[in-house]
Amino acid sequence: MKNRLKILRAERDWSQGDLAERLEVSRQSVNAIETGKYDPSLPLAFRIADLFGLPIEEIFLKD
Amino acid sequence: MTMNPAQRRYLGRMMVVSVTYVAAIFLAGSLLPKGSPATPLSVAIALLPGLAVFGFIWAIGRYFSELTDEYLRLLEIRKALVATALALGVASSWGILEIYTDVPRLPVFWVFPIWCLGLGVGAAVNKLTFGDGGCA
Repeated sequence: MKNRLKILRAERDWSQGDLAERLEVSRQSVNAIETGKYDPSLPLAFRIADLFGLPIEEIFLKD
Repeated sequence: MTMNPAQRRYLGRMMVVSVTYVAAIFLAGSLLPKGSPATPLSVAIALLPGLAVFGFIWAIGRYFSELTDEYLRLLEIRKALVATALALGVASSWGILEIYTDVPRLPVFWVFPIWCLGLGVGAAVNKLTFGDGGCA
C-alpha cells in the first residue's frame, strides 16, 4: 500500500526517529511503513492519522 | 540501537535460564554416569536440563507477547516460523535417512539447538525480504 508518511513527516521537519517516538514504535517500523515494506495494523494506522490530524485515506492510498 | 523494555527483559530471562541450564547439565553429568539405568531418581535428575529448555521456550514466548511494536513482532514471528520449518524439515528428513540408510542416529536432543540456529536463518531471510533482520 502506498502512503504519504514521508511527505507529511517532512512537512513537519520530523526525522523518522521523531515520528517513531511520537507513535511509540521503533524507527525500523516507521522506515518499513514509509517504504511500503509493511502495512500497519488498523489501530496503528488510526494512531498515525490522529497524529497528523488527517483521515486514514488521506495518508494511506490504494495501489 | 537501543533495546526496548521487552528485549531487556528477554535478555535477562535468557541469562538466568542459561545459567540454570549449564548448572543442570553439570549436575546431571556429575551425578549420572552415561547409560545409567532409568530409575525415578535418575530420570528426574536427567530431566532437569529439559526443564531449563522449557525455560528458554517460555522466555521466547513471553518476549513475543511483550513486544508491543507490531513490526518488530512480525519480524520475530517470521524468524520463529523459519526456525520451526527448518527444525521440522531437518529432523524429519534425517529420520527418513535413518530408516533407509545407515547414517548415524541424530539424537532428538539436537532438535532445539537446530531450531535456535534456524532463528539465525530466519533473521537472514528477514534481512533479504524486509531489509531488517529483527531485534534479538
